[in-house]
Amino acid sequence: MRKTSFALALLTAAVLTACGGNGPSAGDQTPKTKFSSQITFGDSLSDVGTYAVGSIAAMGGGQFNINGNNTAVSPELTGKNYSQLIAAQLGLPAPCAAQTGLMGTAAAGFSAPVTDHPECFSYAQGGSRVTNPIGPNNIALAKPGAVSLGALTVPVVTQIANHLKKTGGKFKADDLVIVMAGGNDALELLDELSIAATAAGGQALAVSLVQQLAPGTTNPQTGAAAITAAIQAEAAKGSSADLIIKAAITAAAMNGNTAAVANAATIGAKAGADAQAAGLAYSTAHGPDQVKAMATAGAELGAYVKTQIIGNGANYVVVNNLPDVSISPAAKAKSADTQKLIGAMVNAFNDQLKAAVAGEAKVLYVDLAAISRDQSVNPTPYGLTNTTTPACDLSPAKNPLGSSLVCNKNNLIAGDVSHYMFADTVHPTPFEHSLIARYVLEQMTVKGWL
Amino acid sequence: MKVRINVVKVLVAAGTLAVATGAAAQSKGQFTVSVGANMLKPHVESGAISAPALPNSLGDIDKDTQPVAVITYGLTDNISVETAIGTPYKHKIHGAGAIEGTGQLGTAEAMPAIALLQYRFFEPNAMFRPFVGLGVTYAMFRKETGSFPMTALTNPGGGTPTTFSIDNKWTYSGQVGLQFNVNEKWFANAAYIKTKLSTDVHFSTGQRQHMKLDPDSFILSVGYKF
Repeated sequence: MRKTSFALALLTAAVLTACGGNGPSAGDQTPKTKFSSQITFGDSLSDVGTYAVGSIAAMGGGQFNINGNNTAVSPELTGKNYSQLIAAQLGLPAPCAAQTGLMGTAAAGFSAPVTDHPECFSYAQGGSRVTNPIGPNNIALAKPGAVSLGALTVPVVTQIANHLKKTGGKFKADDLVIVMAGGNDALELLDELSIAATAAGGQALAVSLVQQLAPGTTNPQTGAAAITAAIQAEAAKGSSADLIIKAAITAAAMNGNTAAVANAATIGAKAGADAQAAGLAYSTAHGPDQVKAMATAGAELGAYVKTQIIGNGANYVVVNNLPDVSISPAAKAKSADTQKLIGAMVNAFNDQLKAAVAGEAKVLYVDLAAISRDQSVNPTPYGLTNTTTPACDLSPAKNPLGSSLVCNKNNLIAGDVSHYMFADTVHPTPFEHSLIARYVLEQMTVKGWL
Repeated sequence: MKVRINVVKVLVAAGTLAVATGAAAQSKGQFTVSVGANMLKPHVESGAISAPALPNSLGDIDKDTQPVAVITYGLTDNISVETAIGTPYKHKIHGAGAIEGTGQLGTAEAMPAIALLQYRFFEPNAMFRPFVGLGVTYAMFRKETGSFPMTALTNPGGGTPTTFSIDNKWTYSGQVGLQFNVNEKWFANAAYIKTKLSTDVHFSTGQRQHMKLDPDSFILSVGYKF
């Protein structure tokens, strides 16, 4: 009798525990804050298709990513950037470009009407800087006769103003505003430094050649003038250092420097070394100027966030700092000194940006620089299989722009690139964008917004 | 065994006490049922969520307290078997480590089934009877429920909410406890049970997380001897 009841009790326990049909479920999938819209200001990292026009669209491009929904090839190849993933996660409409068009070479298909889309709130454009309206691939930077993409590169300060014009000067209380810029300021400033350093090197080359060759001419004074003229004529053609050296030696020989031709190799080598030293000296001397310029840009962006965005009513502003450009394939292809300079520029920008928005409760400052650095040295937990090689085949035959802007599943490098970090030499793959989206959303959750 | 025989000898020799009423505390062939509360407190040592994730993305699990009925049957005057039935323990799961501060990421219900073999000191009618136990536990998990942040952290914008399941496990438990006999029918019971438990969490994204839970169980109950 007692034994029976004990057995019954055990049975009851067993029945209770076995009582099933209670498997996993998704739970409440609504975010804590219901945002009404997502407004994005920035550059190519957030661009959702400003340049998806003309021959760019025809080539299957439009975003700085691996373009197109290629989830059939690999689930990671969504073609979406972080801002599109965040909007989808928040249940907001897919972001669309607030402006589309190209102002480049018509013959190459890089000219399309610049059209505003009042219903769209993604203002980010490839090439945009913080304040300066001339970013990479802007028509203003085009070399005469060369093909130009004619990127619009409307700077962030103007992007914000354009939005405010649309909305009567105010952000809505439940707008989610995302800001991410600075990369093009870094690229342009580096380009300017490189051009100036090359010019300094060219000058040093000329001085060195004249100093080496003029004394051996029949009349050193006229000889020097003739050599200088020859160098200038050659340089004006945009010739290489080798051709300039050759022109100088020819001019010296014609002016009676009999040893010039015989000693051409040593003279050329010394002149080249002098030029290189001068270029390097210029870079070293003026690198700090570019770091300062980046600091200014960072401070400006922070000020726009405070005065133009929060000052006009926004309550939720995600400020992504500038990922560490010095770990990008573009930077890795440069000298160690240049990489160090880029790192310093990124830090200067981010330090100023962070300081400018510090203590601002309506701002979430997301340290993507730290994450990008960690990813480059510790890729495995992130699921990254490669952090150094572009996933896109950037050879001219496969990619006429050498940019992810026209990269899609048809011009990738061989092998599985689904978990690569970089699509081209600076832009992330869809997988890396999903990692960025995760981190931004994680930080928004910690902030108490989600 | 020897102890039991001695105890019985003493009882028989004395021929007194509760034996006269036929209702000693947890004597041979006797059922007791006590009702109370059990606090189940996981002692979490979380592994990191597998890639792709922020490195060192850990989890933490809250304790929960639920009503419990402890059923004990005396095989002898000193050796008993025990099981417990109760309502499921609802545990909140939080982000920890690199994702500390993300708050509640999910919930799950635990339904541990336990069977213990116990040794009870002293004679059945002693006022205080300490006991020790060793047993098997089947840790069953159900109703694993995700959340918006869990999806945001594992499959942002993917359109598929993330779900997860926790592996059920057979394991073992150790117990120490004390029974306080108020009178011949009523008693109070306090027990502590430590269970060794490691399990794996599987996410619908294909990610995995190893969790050492090693729960502590604190039971306070009031019982009646049948």
